[in-house]
Formats: sequence, structure tokens, C-alpha cells
Amino acid sequence: MIEFKDATVVAPDSGIVILKPTTLTLSENRITVIGANGSGKSTLARLINGLAIPVSGSVSVDGVDTRKHGARVRRKVGFLFTDPTSQLIMPTAIEDVMLSLRRVIKSKNERVKAAMAALEDIGLGDKADVSVNALSGGQRQLLALAGVLTATPKVVVADEPTTLLDLRWKAHVGALLHSLPIQLIEVTHDLEAATKADRTLVVDDGGVVFDGNPEDAVSHYRDLMYRKSVGEPA
Amino acid sequence: MTHVLGAYRPGASPLHRLPAWSKVAALVAWSAVTLLVRDPITSGGMAAAALLLLVSVTPAPGPTLKGLGMIVIVAAMAGAYQVWRGDYLAGIDIGVDLIGLFALSLSITGSTPMSDMLDLATAAARPFRRILPPAVTGLMFAIMLRAIPEIANIMRQSRDAARARGVRRNLTALMIPTATRTVGFALDLGAALHARGIGDDARSDAPRLRPMRLSPQAPSE
Repeated sequence: MIEFKDATVVAPDSGIVILKPTTLTLSENRITVIGANGSGKSTLARLINGLAIPVSGSVSVDGVDTRKHGARVRRKVGFLFTDPTSQLIMPTAIEDVMLSLRRVIKSKNERVKAAMAALEDIGLGDKADVSVNALSGGQRQLLALAGVLTATPKVVVADEPTTLLDLRWKAHVGALLHSLPIQLIEVTHDLEAATKADRTLVVDDGGVVFDGNPEDAVSHYRDLMYRKSVGEPA
Repeated sequence: MTHVLGAYRPGASPLHRLPAWSKVAALVAWSAVTLLVRDPITSGGMAAAALLLLVSVTPAPGPTLKGLGMIVIVAAMAGAYQVWRGDYLAGIDIGVDLIGLFALSLSITGSTPMSDMLDLATAAARPFRRILPPAVTGLMFAIMLRAIPEIANIMRQSRDAARARGVRRNLTALMIPTATRTVGFALDLGAALHARGIGDDARSDAPRLRPMRLSPQAPSE
């Protein structure tokens, strides 16, 4: 269970409030977060993994505070970025997955076996020795996901994981994410995907402005965007 | 020339079977010999042996030939300088040494997985663990190799973007976007490392692995 208690994020240089004091309890298995660009939804997602730390208030995962115990939180929460390019560090697919396993498996042979199994599971078994630069965008995102899942997290936070993918890979990566037997928190601009959740948050201007049923959340978001586009007060 | 960095290809050649440390030690010894021995015949023999070793690991032909082509140009320039100074033997010796060393380096990177190099760098850094954790040293080595082709790619894209806007031979139009995007890449990479908990490597109380099963089939390429 993820708990936000008055969590606030402020840009260090400008002092601009990126996320207003937010209090939430996220316990549902599938949660989507929607909102305009720059609304603060990625910051909200980053707080869960400890990538961002609140200036005031707190965020905890299963009671573990992200500020005090970042390493423990990161073992529980995997994070998938929009662009997998910067998430892949090693030159080949299998080596990149093995990198995630270095802290949990000391034996190299065991690491190779586990990484190979993870690649097979995700459908990249035949790409084990292929350079990450030779993989397609969709395959890179799958590889990034394999790297996240081998660390056996309890929660996966995905920040617009399908934005850069074509329709075919978008459907595949989306289906894989939703088939995970763990909690998934997905930030997305795909309103159809957003409705496949148990709960949806709408973030606007640094705050959660709607929290509830996905269909109602999408309607609220569409209405909000329409009003903004015609210059009506949100 | 960045294509050949980290260009490991699986195989069963004698070099593939050797441990990483022995190959790196051989490279160091080879470099010392080429520096100390100023004899074009010896250098020629060593370069020929290095080229044979390179062929034995069956590297990707395109990037390898491209890389060798570049180093031949550099070797020719270095040799030509010595010849211009009047030292013909040194000209041949330096040019051939450069080609030989490059070929040997390629045969080592082509036959050694990055993870083995990472283990080696980590082990080599152990004596300095009071200054920097060994795992971090190894990781820095991997990131350095990962960053070189990425920065070259950013530079290519910046050059194309400048050309698309009609700007040619303008260093500012090339370097400013390259520098800012490189910093952006570094920040993204740092965030990804942080998110993957890779900086937390040294902890020994990590949980045991329990692989997660997935179901949907990947689309074909």
C-alpha cells in the first residue's frame, strides 16, 4: 500500500510548487494517472519510487518511508520510463538484465540463467546477445521492463510507457503491464488505456483534481481540457 | 569509430574462452612491448598476429572494417609525420603499432562480454574500496562505454538539425545542443540507475530471486 501524507514537491531553484500538498492512499491493483503535460503527474509517480523526495510531508510504500529508506523502497517499487534508451545501460539485452540481478544473485552462472529466463518470459529470448542499439523501440521497452521485473518488485510505476511506441507494440506492452500479478500505477495520455484501471487520478496544475472511477475521471479530464482550451476557468 | 565499442559477439574462439583478466593483461604487455621495441619487422609481425586474432573472433565485418579504415588513416598521418621529420623507420614502426594495438583491442572487446569487463573492473577496484565502492567503479566503466556511442549519436542528430535549418559549419549550432542534450541524457541515465536501485548494489541483505511469469506473446519484428 502506498501512502502520501501532505506530500509536496517544490522546484529547488525557482521555488515553483510542482505538486501541492497531496494526501492519498493507493491500494488498488490497477491505478492510472492522467493529466496535461506539466501538470505534475510524473512527479507524483516519481515520488513513489523515491526518484523525487517531497520537501514536506511523506510518501511511504508498505510503511517504508521513501525519504529515509530509499534503497528498501526501490526494491519494492520498479520504475519504467517513457524512453527506454536511457534505462538500458549494458551493450546487450542479457547483460542489461544481468545488471539488475547483480545485487540479488552473486553467482554469474545463476545470473545468466535467471536473466535468460526473464528474457524468455517477456518474449526476447532470441535477442539475448543482440546489441540494445539494434532493438526496436518496443523491444527496448520490453527489455527495460524485464530489467525492472527481475528485481521482483511489488509495485511497478510506469511513466507513459507506451507513448513512443507504434500501435502494435503499444498494445503488446500495455497487455503485458496489465497482466502483471502485482500493483501497477501507470501515468498515461492514452485515455482508452486509462479506463482499464480500478481507479484513476486526474492531475492538474500540481494537484489531484479528481480521484475515482476511471470512466468518470476521463469525462472529468475531457471537460477540464475543453474548458481550458476555450479559456473558461477550470 | 564508436560502432566498434562494446561490440561483443558470442563465439567459441580461443580468445572467447580466455578469462577477461588474461586478455587485458595481454593487452597491457603488448602495449609495453610495442612502446619499447622500435623495430618495424617486429611491429609488423605483432600487427599481423593481432589482425589474425581479430579475424579469429569473427567480429561484425561492417563496423570493424570501418573502424580499421579510420585507424589506418590515423596511423598513416602519424607515420607521415615521422617520415617528414626524417625518421623513416619510426614512421613505419608507429603506424604499424597503432594498427596492431587497435586490432588487438577490437579482438578483446569482440570476445569479452561487458559483464565480464564489469566484474574485472570491480575486482581491480577492490584495493581502493576505502575511496570508492568497487561496484560503483565497475559501473562507471560500463556507463562510460555506454555513453560514448550515445553522445556520438546526439552529435549526429544536432548536426542534422542544424543542417535542416540551413546552418552549416557553425560550431555553436553543433556544440550547444550537443552539450545540453548530453547533460539531459546523463540526468536521465542517473534517474534510471537510481530507479533500478543499481547504486544500492553493495547491500548484502537483498531478497532472493523469484522469477515472475508473463503471458502475452511479443509481436513479430
